Amino acid sequence: AQTSISSTRKTRRKDWTKLIYSTSLTPEQILEGAEEQEGGPREDEMDEDDFFQIKTSRAEGDDVLDQSKDVLSAAELKKWEDEEMLESIRHLFITGGGEGGEGE
Amino acid sequence: MSSLIHFSGHQHFRQRLVLSILSGKHVRIDKIRSEDKNPGLRDFEVSLLRLLEKVTNGTIIEISVTGTAILLKPGIISGGSLSHDCPLSRSVGYFLEPIIMLAPFCKTPLQLTLRGITTDEHDLSADLIRTVTLPHLQLFGVSDGLELRIKKRGAPPEGGGEVQFLCPIVKQVKTLNFVDPGRIKRIRGAAHAVRVNPQFSNRMIEASRSILNRYIPDIYLYSDVYKGDESGKSPGYALSLLAESTTSAIHCAEAISQPGVAPEDIGLQATRALLAEVNMGGCVDRKHQTLVLLMMVLGSEDVGRCRMGEPTPRTIQFLRDVKSFFGTSFKIVPAEPGSSQLLYSCYGTGYVNANRALA
Repeated sequence: AQTSISSTRKTRRKDWTKLIYSTSLTPEQILEGAEEQEGGPREDEMDEDDFFQIKTSRAEGDDVLDQSKDVLSAAELKKWEDEEMLESIRHLFITGGGEGGEGE
Repeated sequence: MSSLIHFSGHQHFRQRLVLSILSGKHVRIDKIRSEDKNPGLRDFEVSLLRLLEKVTNGTIIEISVTGTAILLKPGIISGGSLSHDCPLSRSVGYFLEPIIMLAPFCKTPLQLTLRGITTDEHDLSADLIRTVTLPHLQLFGVSDGLELRIKKRGAPPEGGGEVQFLCPIVKQVKTLNFVDPGRIKRIRGAAHAVRVNPQFSNRMIEASRSILNRYIPDIYLYSDVYKGDESGKSPGYALSLLAESTTSAIHCAEAISQPGVAPEDIGLQATRALLAEVNMGGCVDRKHQTLVLLMMVLGSEDVGRCRMGEPTPRTIQFLRDVKSFFGTSFKIVPAEPGSSQLLYSCYGTGYVNANRALA
């Protein structure tokens, strides 16, 4: 019964093999769940007749460092202040539910 | 020439250099920050190129006058006893991560001394590399004599740390078949505090235990003490944590000191980050996806399998780059119907260490 709590994460069907190897979506777009046609940044604040285009260099610049550690997001960490959240992963430890107990 | 592979942009710089050196294919990278106010390579990237030059023999690196384009023609991976001073803009982890991917395929075993910052917020700290990254290499049969010694710690901004990386050479890496994540059986951690009140380590540990104690009894968080000259030039402290499962899957996280944040909060941050990582599940954590996938590609000509969480943006690009260099693509399917965990499988290229001195 405990295990069902963890599967509340929405799991939308993704064909990872296809998304990675046969689309030109950026890695970020793939993870956001964008479809091939509607990719790209929304430029709702820009009028059609604006002559000068602001260059959107989202993925450029030094804000995207070549680093292996994820930036600790405050929102993600905040989730873990919640008692229910802490309890929800108990089944991932040897002492929590199921066959449980010590030993391998 | 068909063996030249071309990329644009400064992103994913390290993995492309590594793949070039392993595959022997030339790589050209242009438009390196060409639109930036300060265009071209950064000092740490130039330093990495110099380090790769030292580790290899016969490598030709051409950098354009403006520094916005490079051409790398890889030589053989020679290894041996080397040392390198890392710039203070990145920690030694930035340099070790790509070196670890190359080291098993050297001609002679690598003994590399790196000096600089040992823990920062961007790259894997020396502690995590020692306790988590190296065990991942062991999965592939790289084990005897594999070691990282943290001789001196160096906190940002002044650094002053020193680590020594020792890696044996192998003829071939083993095929991986790692699909059972198991359950977490123990948690380990190291706290260190240099040039600040040594009590800070204990305060981080206590805060971390306040969350972790509920789960399992086998928790050992120790305070790693460095004194005098061994503690580097700047004050700083950090907590590195790892959770190991019954099948030896390891998930890790860490948090480092920030101005105006109490040690307790750093301890809590590291702990919550660890739980988030554990919750992602799988046999390999997010920080080590690329290392494991690379070794799977280099494995013997057999099907390698590994269960992991969703790929990170870095991993997605890595998979694409691997295909460019080695022609290998992975099959990625849900581990079970409805599961967010994925099963990555590929057919190994049977990469043989041709540099190895015949003995």
